[in-house]
Amino acid sequence: MKGSKASNLLRRLLYALIAIVGVATLVFVLLRMVPGNPVATLLGEHADKETVERISSSLGLDKPLPVQFADYLLGALRGDFGQSYTLGKPVSELIGPAFVNTLWLALAAALVSWVVGIACGLAAAIHKSTIVDRLFMGFSLLGVSLPVFMVAMLLQYVFARYLHWLPVAGVTDWTGYILPAIALGWGSAGSIARLVRSSVIEVLQQDYIDTARAKGRTGTQILVLHALRNAMLPVITLMAMQFSGLLSGAFITETIFSINGIGRLAVQAIAGRDIPLLQGTTLLCTFVIVMGNLVADLLYSVCDPRVRKEA
Amino acid sequence: MTRRTLEVSHLNTSFFTERGEVKAVQDVSISVNKGQVVGIVGESGCGKSMIARSIMGLVKKPGKIVSGSIVLQGKELTSLGEKELCKIRGKDVSMVFQEPMTSLNPTMRVGKQVQEVVAIHEDVSREEARRRTLQILSAVGIPEVEARYNAYPHELSGGLRQRVIIAMAMVMKPHLLIADEPTTALDATVETQIMALLKQLAKDGTSVLIISHNLGVIAQLADYVYVMYAGRVVEKGSVFELFDNPLHPYTHGLLGAVSSLRSQTKVLQTIPGVVPNLAHLPAGCSFAPRCSKCMARCGSEQPKLVAVNPEHEVCCHLKEGADSL
Ligand SMILES: Nc1ncnc2c1ncn2[C@@H]1O[C@H](COP(=O)(O)OP(=O)(O)O)[C@@H](O)[C@H]1O
Ligand code: SF4
Ligand SMILES: [Mg+2]
Repeated sequence: MKGSKASNLLRRLLYALIAIVGVATLVFVLLRMVPGNPVATLLGEHADKETVERISSSLGLDKPLPVQFADYLLGALRGDFGQSYTLGKPVSELIGPAFVNTLWLALAAALVSWVVGIACGLAAAIHKSTIVDRLFMGFSLLGVSLPVFMVAMLLQYVFARYLHWLPVAGVTDWTGYILPAIALGWGSAGSIARLVRSSVIEVLQQDYIDTARAKGRTGTQILVLHALRNAMLPVITLMAMQFSGLLSGAFITETIFSINGIGRLAVQAIAGRDIPLLQGTTLLCTFVIVMGNLVADLLYSVCDPRVRKEA
Repeated sequence: MTRRTLEVSHLNTSFFTERGEVKAVQDVSISVNKGQVVGIVGESGCGKSMIARSIMGLVKKPGKIVSGSIVLQGKELTSLGEKELCKIRGKDVSMVFQEPMTSLNPTMRVGKQVQEVVAIHEDVSREEARRRTLQILSAVGIPEVEARYNAYPHELSGGLRQRVIIAMAMVMKPHLLIADEPTTALDATVETQIMALLKQLAKDGTSVLIISHNLGVIAQLADYVYVMYAGRVVEKGSVFELFDNPLHPYTHGLLGAVSSLRSQTKVLQTIPGVVPNLAHLPAGCSFAPRCSKCMARCGSEQPKLVAVNPEHEVCCHLKEGADSL
């Protein structure tokens, strides 16, 4: 059994690696397919042909594509994504600090969505078809259907401009993360709440819940000891997928709340046709998302003995 | 204390649905003496499980015990609150469910699931609870208990799982064990083993209420039998009386189905017709639409349970009054 566990992990790691290389290739190809010369964009309309060629060659853009691709992959492996065209610094130096900011935002938003989502979902499931249920589910639906930018601006207006409780934008201390985290996390809190609710309701109808009642367990004990773990199995997967969503959702939130994160950097890179910066930010996000899914997979197999055994 | 373990009298349990009141259990009285094995038999949907759930206090909404009394070891259960019922379930009365495949928590080790029962009802150390768990697991015939203790349900066969569930129900040595179709989901070989185990438990002094749609199971295990049809007891008697001298046309039909199975006829003989809708029961005898002996009064008058001898009662107009069949 130990052996199958290790080979299972190896297999998952291999899948993760394939996913990352796949995305890396896709990003490379897509960025070369975009019409227009990035150097020309960089230098402006009036640059003469010679300058463009000189700069292109210094950036390695005159090399054949397969060579460029190899350079790019080998560099990425070492954490070297080249030099940003627009900011004139190594990409790795730029994305490092930006990524830390984004990670804080995403983690804070994830925390909001997990705590709020699980609590609301549980409460709704326990008080199924009552006013509590409808209230929490309405609240969740709102979170799922409102676009992030609207929630963000609403929160800014109420809590920052009107009540002056929290900063409008920018991060000087942890309070600066509160509104962005809520804005970003509400949507996934909503879908987590809905899944938790349906999952708990379904689990509570299972035969083994009857068994637990026949043993003399009280309702609360059954919920905590028998229902919760089983009900959380599908939720773990959703939470991992949502974490990826939070990272991409961070693009908008960072812009609205002026957080110097990876999202803002990526937007800058797109605007400036800054290929190395765009490659760096995309690959980093891909890496984090794939790793997030890997962790979720492993967590799932830790929680569900039936999956654990299947090799 | 009396020798009566369980006394159910005039129990009525209904489901209150949008389409009206579904009378799943109607005016049912059942008694179980100490060490006795009592069987309830009847076609699927006749209310057997609802009797079991009523006794356990586990009737699910929109179902409800409407009236009647359930006395276990001299204690009235129908007036108890949920908190008091929790102290009785698993300790004084326990239940084995039909589906061994789904009646165990898939993410909990089976040993823990048995041990849990001890922890709920008794303030003992973990070591003691574990010791008793291992003891009961081997008592119900599980080999290599130390290893099985740590197994998850999906790692065990159906027969072993049902043994675990029986161990769970027996670990507190309850006064009454209710087994609701304990072998229906198992294959024939395993069925025989589980039946032998239940027989052994009864020999050791546990009162057992065994529920089945299979007369063969009842015949092998029970001392006394209740035959149910459409929520009512239509005939009851000692197992010898009932099998040697069945009186109710429905019991005749059930026995016919059994003997045709025994003679290995390809065509399974069943009673023609279908079970009536419990929300709209016909006036008079519920069995009338399917009964070959149906008379004029059967369609209008509900027959009463009458004793033909001290060991045998039947609910049929053919047996009412002085005339005999
Ligand atoms: N949730 C429910 N809602 C409405 N009616 C129900 C429900 N559960 C059971 N019943 C009714 O109760 C009757 C008896 O069911 P049950 O006791 O499970 O039968 P069985 O003899 O097969 O164990 C069924 O025929 C059905 O009409
Ligand atoms: S009462 Fe009438 S219909 Fe009912 S079982 Fe007896 S004979 Fe048949
Ligand atoms: Mg049943």
